Amino acid sequence: MKTEAREYEHQGHKVKSGRRMVGDAAVDLVLILIALLILIPVIWMLMCAFRPEMELMKYPPKFFPESLTTENFSNLLQRLQILTYLKNSIIYCIFTTVPQLFINSLAGYAFARYQFKGKNVIFIAVLATMMIPFQVIMVPLFLEVVKLGMYDNYAGLLIPNWGVAICIFMTRAAYAALPKELEEAARMDGLSEFGIYWKIMTPLIMPTLMTNLVLGINGAWNDLLWPLLMTSTPSMRTLANGIALFLETSLQYGTAFAGAFISVIPMMILYIFGQQYFVEGTATSGLKG
Amino acid sequence: MEKIRNYWKKPEHVAYLFIAPAVGLLFIFRILPTAFSFVCGLFDIDMFLNGKGFVGLDNFKEMFQDDYFWNALKVTIKFTLIEVPIQMLVGLILAALLTKNNKFNKLMRAIYFAPIVCSATVVAIMWKMFLHSNIGIMTYWLEQIGIKGINFLNSPEYTFFVLVFMSVWRSFGMSTVILLSAMQGVSRDMYEAAEIDGCSDARAFISITLPLIKDTFGFVFMTRLIGSLQVFDLVFTTTSGGPARTTETLVYYTYTKAFSNNRMGYGAAVSMALFAIILVLTIFCYRGFFSEEKE
Repeated sequence: MKTEAREYEHQGHKVKSGRRMVGDAAVDLVLILIALLILIPVIWMLMCAFRPEMELMKYPPKFFPESLTTENFSNLLQRLQILTYLKNSIIYCIFTTVPQLFINSLAGYAFARYQFKGKNVIFIAVLATMMIPFQVIMVPLFLEVVKLGMYDNYAGLLIPNWGVAICIFMTRAAYAALPKELEEAARMDGLSEFGIYWKIMTPLIMPTLMTNLVLGINGAWNDLLWPLLMTSTPSMRTLANGIALFLETSLQYGTAFAGAFISVIPMMILYIFGQQYFVEGTATSGLKG
Repeated sequence: MEKIRNYWKKPEHVAYLFIAPAVGLLFIFRILPTAFSFVCGLFDIDMFLNGKGFVGLDNFKEMFQDDYFWNALKVTIKFTLIEVPIQMLVGLILAALLTKNNKFNKLMRAIYFAPIVCSATVVAIMWKMFLHSNIGIMTYWLEQIGIKGINFLNSPEYTFFVLVFMSVWRSFGMSTVILLSAMQGVSRDMYEAAEIDGCSDARAFISITLPLIKDTFGFVFMTRLIGSLQVFDLVFTTTSGGPARTTETLVYYTYTKAFSNNRMGYGAAVSMALFAIILVLTIFCYRGFFSEEKE
């Protein structure tokens, strides 16, 4: 799959292979209808965040708001520790993905550029962890984290997610594609092994790191299960699970919409600016779940 | 001291330092729990490891007599059998239609892929309100065209399919993008040769494109299969397994048993059942899709 994606990048827009099997206009119409199936509910949801509660409850419902308000957001501030959730989501994103990139790219670099005893066996073991479904090991993993005293604190929320096999795999491939001369020249100049990794090689695989970063941020931001398992006090909740738990207890539609708005907007902005990383990362590696 | 420093300067030694953090973390937080997952099922313990302790195979015996376990298993398999084929078919068709890199197609791809930024919580809030039985705008529109009284989110017949729909809605863009990049890798010469031979577009798709993207198709299929068997977050945020347990999947059941009822051992036993299914299916699919190249 890697080579196919690369081929696609090299040949750029010249590549063409899929065929239109039905009339073009009819096909375009269906494609547009599918797009509307995504756009209409999303746009409607974003607008609902600014509609007064009374209007949301009214029958018949209208697609466009009749009046606009920010009361849903002030309700959100009063009823939930939304700023704390927001802070935790940001912490969860940054301190999961940044150490992830460092730790896994360091390993990916070693697997790509060094010969050492046991390399293949260890690498296969690393790849094997990709096959372990998280949901299957969640109970023993939870007990282990509790036993280690990391339950309901940032350590437990963050550290268990730092080792990521797919990230090792992707960075390994990127480092392996770099020329040997670079490394040798740097060694001649007296740079330490870590210096070669950090100053010479890593800047050259920035696109791969960016892909991992963007997908990692999106994954962490939207992650529901892990923060749900690892935290119990409300002040430890992230946006995704804090709002999900709020939904179970409350029937305030406007507040829920405002929560959804706050939780989805940052990732929408990330998507608009980093779309190529989302798509490339998915196309080359495939995502889990 | 100097000796030690020189030792770690050698590239083949420094490699161990470089892989140590990642391999250590993977060992502690992935491999160890996997090794202990079966053992956990042999204990009757709560979150903080208190309880009766070792009970042998009692959890497993109880599980096989537990109607709710069988129900969850049935729901999970039904979900997978419906969701995965829809997902693959939609992904395949859309990928075929969007292969050309023109502006329109790029825009469509970008839109189809966009739900990846929605968390299960956001998807739940959106569709729960959109399909709300009284004030949902979709329900209202359907009423206008004569389809009345469908309670999408609280009926034993429909809610399951709403869950399938939401799951497809959220991830078909991903399947499309992966299949699409494989299709774009197919050489154009193949199609030109087929055209000269008087081959129709549909025929070319079936006899050229499909065989050549088989590996990628197999990869997406397996990923989706494993993902569907583990479906949890949409269930948690939209239906909580209801109504009448018609959407209670295995992972959701594991979650309620282990974390709401605080029976870790029993939860671990239920996840072992899921593990067994995933393992068997993975081996089975792997053989089906990737065996020929090995020969």
